[in-house]
Amino acid sequence: MKLKNIILLLALGMLFACEPKIDDFTTTSGGADFSKYVAIGNSLTAGYADKDLYLSGQENSYPAILAYQFEAAGGGEFKQPLMFDEYGFGNRLLLEASIPAPVPAGIAPDQRNFTSIAANGPFNNMGVPGAKSFHLVPGAEAYSALNPYYARFAAIPGTSTVLEEAASQNPTFFTCWIGNNDVLGYALSGGVSDSITPTALFQMAVGGVLQGMTANGAKGAIANIPNVTDIPFAQFMNTQVPYNALVLDDEQAAGLNFAYGQFELFLASQGITWDYPTFSAGPNAFMVSDETLPLPHPFNVRQMTPGELFLLTLPTDSLPMGMGSVNPAADPIVPWGIPSQYVLLSNEIAEINQAVGAYNEIIAGYATQFDLALVDMNAEFNTVATKGMEVDGIMFTTAFISGNTFSLDGVHMTAQGYSMAANFFIEAINDKYGSGITTVSPRLYPGIYYYQ
Amino acid sequence: MYAGGYQVRLQGHRQTGMGLIGVSLFGDASNLFYNPAGLSKMNTKWSIMAGASGIFSTTAFNLKNSVYQTTTDNPTGTPFYIYAAGMVTDRLGVGVGVYTPFGSSAKWDDDWAGSHLIQNISMKVFFIQPTVSYKISDMFSVGAGFVVASGSVELNKTTSYGTPTAVGAAGLSGNTISYGYNVGVTITPNEEWSIGVDYRSRVNMTMEDGDATFTLPTSVESIIPAKNYFNAELPLPANLDIGVAYKPSDKLTLALELNYVFWGVYDSLKFEFKEKPELLNSSNPREYSNTMIFRVGGEYVINDLLTVRAGFYYDPTPTDSEYFTPETPSLNTYGFSAGISIKPTKNLAIDISYLHLETQESVRSYAPEYFTGTYNGRTMIPGIGVSYNF
Repeated sequence: MKLKNIILLLALGMLFACEPKIDDFTTTSGGADFSKYVAIGNSLTAGYADKDLYLSGQENSYPAILAYQFEAAGGGEFKQPLMFDEYGFGNRLLLEASIPAPVPAGIAPDQRNFTSIAANGPFNNMGVPGAKSFHLVPGAEAYSALNPYYARFAAIPGTSTVLEEAASQNPTFFTCWIGNNDVLGYALSGGVSDSITPTALFQMAVGGVLQGMTANGAKGAIANIPNVTDIPFAQFMNTQVPYNALVLDDEQAAGLNFAYGQFELFLASQGITWDYPTFSAGPNAFMVSDETLPLPHPFNVRQMTPGELFLLTLPTDSLPMGMGSVNPAADPIVPWGIPSQYVLLSNEIAEINQAVGAYNEIIAGYATQFDLALVDMNAEFNTVATKGMEVDGIMFTTAFISGNTFSLDGVHMTAQGYSMAANFFIEAINDKYGSGITTVSPRLYPGIYYYQ
Repeated sequence: MYAGGYQVRLQGHRQTGMGLIGVSLFGDASNLFYNPAGLSKMNTKWSIMAGASGIFSTTAFNLKNSVYQTTTDNPTGTPFYIYAAGMVTDRLGVGVGVYTPFGSSAKWDDDWAGSHLIQNISMKVFFIQPTVSYKISDMFSVGAGFVVASGSVELNKTTSYGTPTAVGAAGLSGNTISYGYNVGVTITPNEEWSIGVDYRSRVNMTMEDGDATFTLPTSVESIIPAKNYFNAELPLPANLDIGVAYKPSDKLTLALELNYVFWGVYDSLKFEFKEKPELLNSSNPREYSNTMIFRVGGEYVINDLLTVRAGFYYDPTPTDSEYFTPETPSLNTYGFSAGISIKPTKNLAIDISYLHLETQESVRSYAPEYFTGTYNGRTMIPGIGVSYNF
C-alpha cells in the first residue's frame, strides 16, 4: 500500500465524521388527526400561574405540552398569544424563600404585554383567563373587548368570540376545559361577589362550544371540573388556623359571655329574641358573619362549624385584635364576625359542590353525545387531594407551595402541575382514539419560582 | 467515552494504530505506560517520544417519550504523552514519562433537558511516572513506576431554585494530587512470541476544599450560601492488562490483548459541603462494574521508510443502565484504528494514528432523577507524534 493511499483512507474515515443520529421512534395518531390542534378554555388552558399570565407559563401550558407531544404523531404548528416577558400584567407572585411565602415580583412588565398582538393570529391556544362557559359563545362579543387577556389577541375586540375564532381555524382536533370559573369566582370571594352560573346557561354554552368545534368533523377531548374547594386557596389557611382556634382562658370566656349577653339584651330591645352560643375555656369556634341570619349587621354572627373553610385571603393579623369574637376597640363593643368573604360557609360549599356535580354530568353527557374523549380531571384531582399522586418521583398534593401541583396563587397550577394535567389528557385521548401519544415527565418542567 | 468511563488510553501512536494494544509490544519509551518491564528491552540505548491526539466526540440524546433531541458540543480533548528513557546498563532501563490516562469532557447546551444532571464537565488528569526496569534474563523482564497524579475537575449544573429570568446554577471545581504505581513483567520465550502483563493501580482523586459557587435567587441565599467548599472523591480505576504478540516474520506483528478494568470501585459520587451540609450533601449512585476490553491489532513493516498498522477492539461500558448520567455518556463502544510510521532517518519516526469509535445506541436512565432517553455517540481521534531513538 502506498503512503498516498493510506492518507486517502484516513481522509475517508474523517469524512464519515458526521454527527451521530438517533432513529426517531414512531408515535401513532390512531383514529385522530392532530395536524391542526386548537385549545379552548380559561386560565388553566392559557397557562396562567402565580396570579399572572407570563411567557414561560404559556410555554408550559398543557395545550403547548400536548401540541409538542402531538408533533411526533403528525401534529402541526401551535401558536400561542405569548406575553413578551415573565411579568405579564404585573401581578406575578414569587416565593420569598426566607419566610417562606409568596411576594409580589414587583417588576414592571414589558409594555408590549398591554398592546394587541392580533396581527400575529389566529392562535391555536384560545385559553382566556377569567372566561366562564358563556363568555366563549355568540352573545359574548363585548367580552372580547372587556377581558384584557382576550382583548390583546382578539381579532376584533368587541366583535370576536372565542368559539368563532377557534372554529374558523378549521381544527382537526381540539381540547375544551371550561367551567371552572363558573363556580370559582363565587368560591374565591367566599360567596360574597360573583355568582354561580345557572346550570341551564352552562349547558347551553358548552353545548354551543362543542357544536361549533365539531361542525367540520373535528375530534377532540373535553375535561370536567375538579372540586374547587380542594385547591390550596380554600385549604391552606385551615392548616394554619383551625375553625376553632379561638383559645380562651376562664376570664376571657367569661368576658365574651358577658359581651354576647349584652348583645342579646340589645337585640331584645330591638324586638329580636336571639340566643348566642356560650364560650368556655379552651378552644372555641370563631364567630363568622353569615348574611343568611335574620339579624342586623354586625350582630349577624354565628360560630363556625367543622368543614367550613378559611380562604387564603384571611387577614390572620386581625384575629388577635378580636376578629372572630368581639371588637373591643368599638364603642359600644359590638360582635366582630370574620367577614364572610374570607370564609366558605357550609351552605356555600354545598352550592359549589352541587354546581360542579351538575356541570360534570352535563360534560359527561356531551362527551358521549359529541363522541369526545372525556378527561376526568375531577377524579384525578380528587386522588391528588386525598392521597397524593407520585409521578416520576415527584409527589403531587394540594399542599400550598410544597405540593408541587399548585402555583403561588393557590388556584392555578405550576408547570409541573400542568404537565400532569397534560398527561391526563393524553391518557384519555389514547383511550378514546387508539393513538400512541406518549406522556411527559413532570421532571422536565419547572416548579415554584423564587424571588430574586 | 474514549475507552469506557473516563479512561483515555492514547499513550502512544504505535499502540493506538494497533487497537490500543501495548502490553506485549516493546522497543521504545512508550513502554513506560503500557508495560514498564519493556524499558529494559529497548531497541536502542535512548528513546525520546512525544505526541498528542485530538478527540472530536459527539453524543446525541433523545428524551424518552418525546420528540426532543439534542447533541453535545464537546470541546476537543487533547491527550498527550512525553517519554524519555535510557538503558543505563545492558540490563537496567530507566525513564520518566508524563501522560494523560484519564480525562473527560462533555458540554451539553446550558438549557438542555438534563441540565439538572449536568451542563458541562471537564476533567483533566496527568500522571508523572519515574520508572525502572530490569532484565532478569533474555526471557524475563520486570519493571515498576511510581505515579504522581495531578487532577482537576470542573462542572456546572442547574438547581431547582430558579427565578423567572435565571435558572439557579451550581458550579464546582477542584484540584488534587494523588499517588499510584504501575508494574509489569514481560516474557519472551523466543524471537516470535512475547507476552506481557501489566498492573496499574487505582488512584483516588480526593478533592478537599474545592470551590463551589451557587448562583441562586437572593431570597434563597439566606438558606444556601453562594460561596461554599466541598470534598469529593473520584476513583481512577486499576487496570490489569494481559497480552500476547506473535511475530511470524521480521515485517509482521500480530497481537491480542485483554484489559480488565476495575471500574467497580466507582459506586457513588459523594459531595460533602462545608456550609449547610445538611441541605447540600449528596451521595449520587454510579454503580459502575468491572469491564473486560478485547483488542486485536497488527503491524506491517513495508520498508525502512514506512510501517502500517490496524486494529480493532470492543469496549463494554462500565456504567449501569439505571444509573447512567450524561456527565460521562459511556456506552458499549467499537473502536477501529489505523496508523503509520514514517522514518525519514534511521533514528527519527513520525507516528500518525487514527481511531474511530462507534457506540451502540442504547436506552439509559438515571433512575434517581427519572431521566431516561436514548444515547448514541461517535468519536474521531486523529493523532500525531515523534520518536527519536538512538
